[in-house]
Amino acid sequence: MNMHIVIVEDEAAIRQELKLLLENALYKVTALGEFQDTAAAALAAEPDLILLDIRLPGESGFDVCTKIRAVSDVPVIFLTSQTDSADELNGMLRGGDDYVTKPFYPPVLLARITAVLKRTKRAAGQEKEPDRLAYRGVELDVARGSIRCQNRQAELTKNEFKILYYLFQNTGRIIPRIELIEYLWDNQVFIDDNTLSVNMTRIRAKLEQLGVHDLVETKRGMGYRL
Amino acid sequence: MNVISFLKDRIMLYVLHLVCMMALGGFLLATGYHRDACLLIWICWLLILLAWTVYEYRKRKQYFSRMEAVLAQIDQRWLLGELMPFSERLEDRLYREMIRRSNGAVIERIHAAEETRDAYREYIESWVHEIKAPITSVALMCENHRSEVTRNISAENSKIENYVDMALYYARSDEVYKDYLIQETDLGAVAAEVVGRSKYYFIQNAVQVEIDCKDAVCTDRKWIAFILNQILQNSLKYRRETGAWIRIYTERICIEKRTRGVRLVIEDNGIGIRAEELPRIFDKNFTGTNGRSHERSTGMGLYLCGKLCAKLGIGIRAESEEHAGTKVMLKFPVSMYLLPEMN
Repeated sequence: MNMHIVIVEDEAAIRQELKLLLENALYKVTALGEFQDTAAAALAAEPDLILLDIRLPGESGFDVCTKIRAVSDVPVIFLTSQTDSADELNGMLRGGDDYVTKPFYPPVLLARITAVLKRTKRAAGQEKEPDRLAYRGVELDVARGSIRCQNRQAELTKNEFKILYYLFQNTGRIIPRIELIEYLWDNQVFIDDNTLSVNMTRIRAKLEQLGVHDLVETKRGMGYRL
Repeated sequence: MNVISFLKDRIMLYVLHLVCMMALGGFLLATGYHRDACLLIWICWLLILLAWTVYEYRKRKQYFSRMEAVLAQIDQRWLLGELMPFSERLEDRLYREMIRRSNGAVIERIHAAEETRDAYREYIESWVHEIKAPITSVALMCENHRSEVTRNISAENSKIENYVDMALYYARSDEVYKDYLIQETDLGAVAAEVVGRSKYYFIQNAVQVEIDCKDAVCTDRKWIAFILNQILQNSLKYRRETGAWIRIYTERICIEKRTRGVRLVIEDNGIGIRAEELPRIFDKNFTGTNGRSHERSTGMGLYLCGKLCAKLGIGIRAESEEHAGTKVMLKFPVSMYLLPEMN
């Protein structure tokens, strides 16, 4: 079952896009549009996590958090444009689990949500990453960062592994180079187009050594396909 | 005030005395007094005048040195009117009253200016918070609907964000002490987040980044992220056309085999800075040759970096070779308390 996140945010545009972002990340999302008795409304949805804006019409997010904490220990992440350290401290003292400032960088927000969910144990059993991915007889060992075909095995560098990991997760579809590069940047591999080509060449060489030919298809001007 | 200027100031009085002495002498001689008697009167007169002059001089001297002392002691010198020593002379009292009135007006002005400045700063801060909401929406919209256009919008949006941040940190840079949270900070994580924030801008310009920060330091995460972002924006702006890279790494500063601090290095292979301009890059409003010939520079980014580093106790230094690259180094002190752990 997907984790359920409640968004408490008064800016309609942000609320809507945030909902879309989280839904794309496979969460179940409820966005509150009214801010009377916010704490009760948020809790009524029985969420696994609450994203709470601080500046709300009526009462402040801090007060809402205090009310939530009085009856529940559901994880709360503050989401705010206040950048004062004092506010951050206040958020923590009111029982917030994390504090993300706007404008946030979407992958960071998603990473923090995952981290908080993991920490609070609610993510147990949720989308546990498989140890190995397989496609056409080639196995990608996630834990060890290596690739195997029949009995032969090759070690991968961090960059090569991340590239293959994304390709293995999106088999059968043409992945544009830019999409692949963006994925890599979101995963702390900050490389450019040329380096991607170099890495691709190395991956192909390693696959050849394993006796696998044409596993990764290059679509000229479009991207790669596994 | 010295003796000569004191005497000069009273020259008319002495001329008057002289005239009177002459007139009295003439009168006495004409009425048949002896010359010696006249001489005696003159000498007595001169002695009395001398004694009075000495007394008066010392008194004035004392009065003014007390005033000087007051001026030297107070840091808000416009308060002199309130603190002037008492004097029984009418002139002094009149002057004192006038100075007080004039100072009162100055103080009012100062308060008014301070109020305006504070109100303006508060407005800028709240404006920055307001503007962040639409920036966030735009970023999210671009993230959710990726295309060629939204990638470009994202890149521009990260520039807007950077300029807005600069305004906020400029407004706050004088009052760093009110707003910091020193904690153990993983520089690698901060660097990754800062780079990620301008992801589209980096990718668009084919700039590679390498991050290798093993050492953690104690500092304020938010401020250091801002400083790092400014330095990276510069590396980005003044990159070379092809094969540009930026390396961010830490190294330990060792003196006599003991760790004395951590240095964060941001190295690029960009167009570099001219040797004669290097010492001035942290000056306010300094744009330099690069700032005029390449993307327009505000002359604020590095100025704020220098200022904030000084407030946070971080040493900032730059080395550069024209057409080869630039290295900016941030030196974090390590407290003596943590030292045994690191060694």
